[in-house]
Amino acid sequence: MNALPYSGEATTAAAVARVEQGRLARPNGWWGMALFVATEATLFGTIIGTYFYLRFNNLHWPPPGVPEPKLTLPLVLTGLLVATSVPVQFAVVTASRGQLARARAALLLAAIVQAGYLGMQLHLFVHDVHEFPPSGSAYSSIYFTMLGAHHLHVFVGILLIFWILLRTATGLTSYRMNGLRATAFYWYFVNVLALCVVGTQLSPLA
Amino acid sequence: MATTVTEPGLERVERLGRIWVEPRGLLGWLRTTDHKRIGLLYFFTTLAFFGAGGIEALLMRTQLAQPNEKVLSPETYDQLMTMHGVTMIFLFVIPMTTGAFGNYLIPLMIGARDMAFPRMNALSYWLFLASGLFMYASVFMHVAPNAGWFDYVPLALKEFNPGRNIDFYALGLIFNAVSSTAAAINFIVTIFKLRAPGMSINRMPLFCFAMLAVSLSLIFALPSLTIDLVYLELQRNLGFHFFDVAHGGDALLWQHLFWLFGHPEVYIIILPAFGIATSIIPTFSKRKMIAFPLVALAELLVAFIGFGVWAHHMFATGLPTITLVFFAAASMMVVIPSSIQVFAWTVTVALGRPEFRAPLLFIGGFIVFFVLGGLTGIMFAAIPFDQATTDTYFVVAHFHFIIFGAAVFPILGGMYYWFPKVTGRLYHEGLAKLSFWLTFLGTALTFFPMHIIGLLGMPRRVYTYPSSLGWGAYNLSETIGAFILTAGLLLIFGNLLYSRFRGAPAGPDPFFGGTLEWATTSPPPPYNFPVIPTVTSAYPNWDAEDRQADLRRLERGELVLDKGHETPASTVVDAVPDEVLEMPGESPWPLAVAVCTGLLFIMLLTQHYAVAGVFAGFALLCVAAWHAKEPQES
Amino acid sequence: MRLSARYLDPEFLQWFGLFGAALTWTVQLVVGFGVTVARCGPANAVLGVDVKAWELTLMGTGIALALLAEAAALNILWQTRNVDYGGPPPEGRRHFFALAASIGNVLFLVVIVLSGTGAVFHQPCTQS
Repeated sequence: MNALPYSGEATTAAAVARVEQGRLARPNGWWGMALFVATEATLFGTIIGTYFYLRFNNLHWPPPGVPEPKLTLPLVLTGLLVATSVPVQFAVVTASRGQLARARAALLLAAIVQAGYLGMQLHLFVHDVHEFPPSGSAYSSIYFTMLGAHHLHVFVGILLIFWILLRTATGLTSYRMNGLRATAFYWYFVNVLALCVVGTQLSPLA
Repeated sequence: MATTVTEPGLERVERLGRIWVEPRGLLGWLRTTDHKRIGLLYFFTTLAFFGAGGIEALLMRTQLAQPNEKVLSPETYDQLMTMHGVTMIFLFVIPMTTGAFGNYLIPLMIGARDMAFPRMNALSYWLFLASGLFMYASVFMHVAPNAGWFDYVPLALKEFNPGRNIDFYALGLIFNAVSSTAAAINFIVTIFKLRAPGMSINRMPLFCFAMLAVSLSLIFALPSLTIDLVYLELQRNLGFHFFDVAHGGDALLWQHLFWLFGHPEVYIIILPAFGIATSIIPTFSKRKMIAFPLVALAELLVAFIGFGVWAHHMFATGLPTITLVFFAAASMMVVIPSSIQVFAWTVTVALGRPEFRAPLLFIGGFIVFFVLGGLTGIMFAAIPFDQATTDTYFVVAHFHFIIFGAAVFPILGGMYYWFPKVTGRLYHEGLAKLSFWLTFLGTALTFFPMHIIGLLGMPRRVYTYPSSLGWGAYNLSETIGAFILTAGLLLIFGNLLYSRFRGAPAGPDPFFGGTLEWATTSPPPPYNFPVIPTVTSAYPNWDAEDRQADLRRLERGELVLDKGHETPASTVVDAVPDEVLEMPGESPWPLAVAVCTGLLFIMLLTQHYAVAGVFAGFALLCVAAWHAKEPQES
Repeated sequence: MRLSARYLDPEFLQWFGLFGAALTWTVQLVVGFGVTVARCGPANAVLGVDVKAWELTLMGTGIALALLAEAAALNILWQTRNVDYGGPPPEGRRHFFALAASIGNVLFLVVIVLSGTGAVFHQPCTQS
C-alpha cells in the first residue's frame, strides 16, 4: 500500500511520462476542469434555450429591419477554430510521452490560429453592433449576449494556453502536465460550444 | 476508541503534527487552508447572517401582529421581506450546510486529510463573506433589494425600480454564485477522488451522498440564475431587451430561468438536512440505516427530478395546459424518493434501540415538519388547487415548514451532535432537550396558523391587512410563536456557548457513531487521521478489526504519509489507491483574489466598467501568483 | 434477454441501468416542453408544429428506453443476487447500483407516461 507513486515528484519529462502511464484515475485538476466545464455548458444551454424561447415568441425572426445572419464567414471561422483541437490533442499526447518540445510547438500553433479567430470575430462583432444594436430588439440582445459569452470563453482559453506555454518554458512537471490536460479539456468544450453557437446563430436561415 | 500507540507510532504522529499545524493568530486565519478552520469561519459568519435574517423576520412579524399597524412603511417592509428571503437562503442555510457542515465533515467522513483544492476552499469562504457584505451594504445605504427574493420582472426593471436596489441584488447574487460554484466543484472532486482505500461508492456515508447531490445540483442550477441576473443587468443598465414584449421579449422568461434555478435550490436547501438526519439516526438507533441503497438513491433522485418541476411555481401565469402537465407529473413523482426516505428513517428508529437524546429529538421534529410540509407540497402539484392557493399564506406555511421545520431542525440537531467532535466537550443534555421543545413549540405556533389564514384568503407579501377579515388573532399568535421560537434558538446557542467552556470532556466517540469522524480525537488534529483508514463497510467506525489494523499500520509506517503535507487519491468508483498528493499549506492568495473580485463587483455596481476590467486583471494576476509555486516545491 | 446480456459488458449494463431512464426523461422534458412553447407561441404561424406527433414520439421512445434501462438494471441485480450491497467492488458496488436503479427506473417510466399522456390529451394551448 505504501508503494503509491508520488506523482508530484515527477519533474522531468521522462518521469512525467512514467507517471502518466501508471495512472489509474484522472487527476483532480482534470475533474475540477470537467466540473467547471459542466457549469459553463449549462450556462450556454440556458443561453441557447433563451434564444429559441425568444424565437418561438416572435413571428418574424430576425425582426423586420435586422439582416439575416451571414452563412459562409461564421462557418469558415468556426471550422478553423474546431480544427485547433488537432494540435491541442497532439500536444497532450506528445507531452504525456515526455516529448515536450513538440507539445509546445503544437500549442503555439493552436494559440495563433485561435487568436486569429478571435480577432476576426471581434471585428465582425463590432460591425454587427453598429448595424443592429442590442437595444433594438430581443433578437439582437440574445444574439450579442450569446456571441459575446462565447468570445469571452475563447479569450480565456487562449490565456490558458499562453499560461501553459509560459510554465513549460522551464520544463515539464506532473503539475504542468495536469494543467495541460485540463486546458485541453477546456478547449474541447469551447470547440463543441462553437459548433452549437454557430448552429444557433445560423438557425434563422434554416 | 482507546489508542495505545508505541514509540515509532508516536514519533510519526508528532511529525505529522509539525507538518500540518497552521500558525495561530489573525494571520494564520486569514491565510488558512485547513478545511476545519474554514468550516468554522463559515459557521460563525452564517450564524451572524441567521441573526440578521431573524431580526428581519421579527420586525415583519411585529408589523403583522395586528391589523393596520404602522410599525414599518410599505417600502421598508418590502426591503425587509426581500432581504429576509435572500439572507436566509443564500447567506445562511446554504453556506451553513455546505460551507460549515460539509467542509468540516466531508474529509473526516471519507478518511482524507483535506479537501481536494484547499486554497479554492478558502477562496469560496472569502468570496461568500464579500458577497454577503456587498449585499448588506445596500441595507445600510437604505437601498436594499425590494422586489422579493424572486425579483420578478417587470417590477425589477429600471422603469419601476430606478434605484440601485436591484443592481445590488443581481450583482450580489452573481458574486455569491461564484463562491457556491467553487465550493461545489471542490466537494465533488473531494468525494470522487479522496475517499479512503476500500471506500467504494456503495460504502460511502449517506451524508456524503447528500452532499454529492447538493453539489451536483449547485453546478447545474446556478448557471440559470446567473444568466437571468446577467440579462436583468444588461436590460437595466445597457438597454438590452429580454423581458419586455414591445421589443420581442417576454416577462415569463425571467420566471422560467429563475425557477429553473429556484426549484433545485430548495432541494439544495433540504438535502444536507437529509444527510444530517441519516447520520444521526443510525447512531442513536444503534443500527445501520434500513434500505441503505434506496436512501442513497433517493437523495440523488430528489435532486435530479427537482430539475424538472420548475414551472409548478408558474401554474397561475396562464401557460397552456400541455406545457404545465410535464411539471405536474414530475412534481407528483418527486415526492416518492422523499417518502422512501421517511419510511427508512422511521423504520430504522423503530427497529433499533433508540436513545432520544437532543440530536434525535431534533430529527424527530424534522420528520414531523417534513411530513406535514411535504403533504402540503404535494397538494400544490395539483394545478387547480395550486391556482386557488397561489400567493396566499398557505404557500408561506408550506415552505416555512420545509425550510425552517425540515431544513433548520437538522442543522440545530447537527450542531448538538457534532459539538463534542468540534470542541472536545459535551453539551448540557437537559438544557438541550428543553431548547428542542421550546423551538418545536415556537415553530409550530408561528407557521401552522399560516395554513389556515392562507385558506381564508390572506395574500402573501402584504405589509398589513384590514381588521374586518378576522385574520388578526391568527397573525398575533404567529407573532407570539416567532418570539417563542427566538427564545428556543437563544437557549440553543446559550447552551453551546456555555458548554464550550464548561462542558464535560467528550472523548473521541461519545455517541458510538459509525462514520470515520468518530475514529479520531475530539477535536481532530490538523492532519485528521494519523494513518489513512482502510474501509470494508459503510459504517467503518463499527468495524473494530479494521480500526485495530489501522493502529498496526501506524506502527509500521504504512499509509501514514508523513513525508510532507500529504493525502492519497484513489479511483472514482471503487476507491483503489492511485497516488499520493502533496497538498498546499497556508496561502494569502485566496483572500487577495476575493478582495480583487469584491472591488470588481463594486465597480460593476457603480458602472465604472473600465476600472472593473482593471480589477478583473488584478484578480487574474493573483490567480497566476497562486499557481506560481508547484506542490512539490513547497 | 439473458442470452444477449451474456454478450453485453456488466459495467455498461450497470451504468445504462442507472442513468438510461433518467437521461431519457430529461430529453422528453426539455424537448417536449420546448415543442409546447413553440406550438403555443406566435411563431407557430410560421413553424406549424404538430405537437401531438412530437409528444407521442417522445413518449414512445421514452417508454422503450426506460424499459431497456430497467431490464439492464434487473439483469445486473440478478447477476449479483448473492452479493451484499456493502460488499467489495466490483460485485458489491454493482449490486448497490442495480438495487437503486431498479427502483428509480420505475419512477421515470411513470413520469414519462404521465407527461406524454397529458401533453397529448389536452387541447393545445388551452389554459388551465
